[in-house]
Amino acid sequence: MRGRRRALRFVAGILVFAGIVAAIASPQAALKALQLPLFALFSTSRMVAAYLIGLVFAIAYGHTAATNRRAALIMLPILDVLQSIPILAFFPAALLFFVVTFQGSAIGIEFAVVFLIFTSMAWNMAFGVYESLTTIPQDLEAAGSSFGLTGWLRFRLLEFPAAIPKLVYNSILSWTNGWFFLVASEVFQVGSSKFARPGLGAFIADAGRNGDVASIAVGLGVLAAVVLALDFFVWRPLSVWSERFRMDTASGRELAKVPRYEPFRWMPRFPAVRRTIIARAHPATQAYHRASVRLDRAYASHPNVVRDVRVVDLGLFVIVLLLVVTTGLIGLGQLFLRPLPPEAVGLPWAALLSFSRLLLSYGIALGWTIPVAVVLGESERVSRYLTPALEIFASLPATALLPVILGFSLAVVGSTGGAAQLAAILIGLFSMQWYLLFNLVAGVRSIPQDLREAARSFGLRGRPYWRRLLLPAMTPSLLTGSITAWGAGWNALIVSEYIEYAQRPYTVTGLGSLINQAVLVTGDTEVLLLTILTMIVVVLAMNKLLWRPLLKRAAIRYRLEV
Amino acid sequence: MTEPHPLLKVKDVTKSYFEDGKEFKILDLIRFELAEQDFVCVVGPSGSGKSTLLRILVGLEKPTSGEVLFEGQPIRADNPQVAMVFQSFALFPWLTVTQNVELGLEAQNVPLPARQARARKFIDAVGLTGFENAFPRELSGGMKQRVGIARALAIEPLLLCMDEPFSSLDPLTAQNLRDEILQLWSDPQLPPKAVLMVTHSIEEAVYLADRVIVLSSRPGRMVAELVIDLPRPRNRKEPEFYGWVDEIYSLIV
Amino acid sequence: MSNSGDDVGPPKRVTDFHSISKASVGQILGLVEAVDEAGGTADVATISSEVDMDIDRLGPILAAAEFLGLLEVEDGDVRMTDLSRKLLSASVRERKSIVRGIIDDLPVFRRVTEMARVAGRPLDRREIVDALAASVGSHQAEEVFKALVYWGRYVELVRYDSESELLSLRTPSK
Repeated sequence: MRGRRRALRFVAGILVFAGIVAAIASPQAALKALQLPLFALFSTSRMVAAYLIGLVFAIAYGHTAATNRRAALIMLPILDVLQSIPILAFFPAALLFFVVTFQGSAIGIEFAVVFLIFTSMAWNMAFGVYESLTTIPQDLEAAGSSFGLTGWLRFRLLEFPAAIPKLVYNSILSWTNGWFFLVASEVFQVGSSKFARPGLGAFIADAGRNGDVASIAVGLGVLAAVVLALDFFVWRPLSVWSERFRMDTASGRELAKVPRYEPFRWMPRFPAVRRTIIARAHPATQAYHRASVRLDRAYASHPNVVRDVRVVDLGLFVIVLLLVVTTGLIGLGQLFLRPLPPEAVGLPWAALLSFSRLLLSYGIALGWTIPVAVVLGESERVSRYLTPALEIFASLPATALLPVILGFSLAVVGSTGGAAQLAAILIGLFSMQWYLLFNLVAGVRSIPQDLREAARSFGLRGRPYWRRLLLPAMTPSLLTGSITAWGAGWNALIVSEYIEYAQRPYTVTGLGSLINQAVLVTGDTEVLLLTILTMIVVVLAMNKLLWRPLLKRAAIRYRLEV
Repeated sequence: MTEPHPLLKVKDVTKSYFEDGKEFKILDLIRFELAEQDFVCVVGPSGSGKSTLLRILVGLEKPTSGEVLFEGQPIRADNPQVAMVFQSFALFPWLTVTQNVELGLEAQNVPLPARQARARKFIDAVGLTGFENAFPRELSGGMKQRVGIARALAIEPLLLCMDEPFSSLDPLTAQNLRDEILQLWSDPQLPPKAVLMVTHSIEEAVYLADRVIVLSSRPGRMVAELVIDLPRPRNRKEPEFYGWVDEIYSLIV
Repeated sequence: MSNSGDDVGPPKRVTDFHSISKASVGQILGLVEAVDEAGGTADVATISSEVDMDIDRLGPILAAAEFLGLLEVEDGDVRMTDLSRKLLSASVRERKSIVRGIIDDLPVFRRVTEMARVAGRPLDRREIVDALAASVGSHQAEEVFKALVYWGRYVELVRYDSESELLSLRTPSK
């Protein structure tokens, strides 16, 4: 096939280019680079192992949740939480567990690495299986039952094939997550002991630590080549193949028996509590609340203004909640955990800083992805030329870019502190932007042709065109992309706020660096635990109070009926 | 003449759903029998619970009260003597025509050569020879439903249950398939021994059935049980035919 | 049997073959049955309201039935033919062999089966589409190919595997 051959040439080109760069920059690095194929093989094997375990887990978990309603009551919320918390924060604990269990042997570390990758892959696949199984058309299920399909036969002929489209779709996402975690986990330090397994991630991290630019370039080139090659030769064909397992939606009653699982529905909703908290929490918020009530009344006939006020309201609430919850947690800690470590006082501040940096990354990402997505989505020609280039960049997990980004930051900003800040924001950006971009492009492409034509025939162009068509149509995919992006962003905190580069650490204040300090320097498990807890609370609160309501409204308002 | 062998006994079947402590009755005291050589249509407007009734009769759902006996035993969903044809065809999109037809046989662990032979026989009977290795997506609606019928006949059931089998088809294809169903039915060499079909089309019921059970709506109650004694083949243009259709209309409205 | 005959058939025949791609066997038979029930002859408007299909949907089916020689259309009247009477009284299996006789005589169909016979191996979809494009234009080639597979399978003269996209010949059972 022509497409395949072109892809092959493309990947080979990257490899050759990386090799040439290396050979010119430093012959030593080129020599070292000879080990790279082996490293690539090691890393890929870890990914495959983790993926296979994840697949088995996903099928077993999803299947149980879909077939056993009582079990689902517990299993789904657990999955929900697992999916939204930054797993990377738990890695030190997991690593310690495996190292202790295997008495420090290499196998233990391998298990730990595979386990970490597994945790980044399994949850969304399990959701995929659950969703597929609960949305099998009722008649198809009835046909299975009435023709006596049970047990293994039912699984083989009905359930597994029905799950394939979503499973493949989610596998591609999982695989992207996996690379991010692989690179982060091949080298890890707990206290004074350093654990490393040979692999691409370790190679890049080592090169970064030594400030060896040529090795970094070669390592990244090989990583990109491996990621792209797997994408072209495994995932794309698989996703084409999976199309045939899609249900024929044209025929008859396709009603789902069990409503689609809505994340976080199990948590109570409390708008009234939210209002009360804002009204009572603090004199400042009280004043704000009064003002907003007055505004509400004054602008009752201008729903737009009121809506804007609400948005600010909600944002304010998130911040207040953040502060309240963390102080509350500290209070709890003081009660139960003996005297609280002094670092704990800094937790709310650290959380706020981390959050602000991510917000900044998110803002930058939005700033460039929205216009680019519109161009890519509207113009077939630009997309043909630009998409491959973007895909190369997107293939590199943000964790692998640490040394490059820090080097860049050092070159741009003079001061060490400033460079660390910039690096943290850039890493956040790199872990968030691709999810936004590709989701947005899909959103733009999903605009039906007749809507575009209608817009054109009424002479909509420029700002009205954006406001009336593009932006509303992009909203659902913007939200889905945002949720995934923020998930990745929280995980990136762990690696972005404490970077070792050229033999010295670059840190900024934040939750991620607190975790790293606790693991690497002080070994203070109390602080570690508190920080992780803070992070989880913040993430869950954001999901529940910000993304869910937004997504729900968008789903009603902006859905494009085809 | 001996009494025809009774196959299915429906005894006072009632079905209700409960929501917020309130009872919503769907079916109320449905009672009838089905014997060999019967071609029975259950006809009713939407909301008469006729599809629910069929799902109960084949054991896919449990009645709230009453019972369904098949050859004297409570009905079970995986009963190999009862086969089902669906409105939406319910073909497995990832299996070929042959594999779809073999589905029930595979579940019964019929050995491969016998399975293939049986599949071939029924694929031929519905006129699908030539399409053995096609996937459902390559077939027209009418052919998809032929696969559904072949799949049902392949397990050689005593009772064939059809849930609105023609209502996802265009009128021409539907009429053609109705005639072919009658052709298959008139062949004593072929299963089944009895047919039970659910439909919302009164004309269709009068065209096909020996006996029509008429349901009212909300809840579904039996309004009448009529024996259609028109000779076959029936012509939908004849006044006798229209007499029956009008009578059923007046019962429902 | 005439020889390959691709130059014998006027170009109109090709378009006609294209016209049966818009109708299925079931639809054509259903239409014939409807005309039969209406007494063997009726005007198109009556049939259209009788079967509850507007002329947009009925048109291609009517054209296909006419092309296959099953119905005659004249001045807005539809009439059954001897062939369609024979068809209606036949069994599922006999119907197939009647339609086979018609399909097997179509120049385009003949050309493709001839191609396969000469090649002595299964033909790739691409080969056939390319060959068809030469005579019907690439625009219609895909659709003619689809129709060819559909009717060829129905009359059991063609075996097609959508996985490998290979077309081969088969002998009808019985």
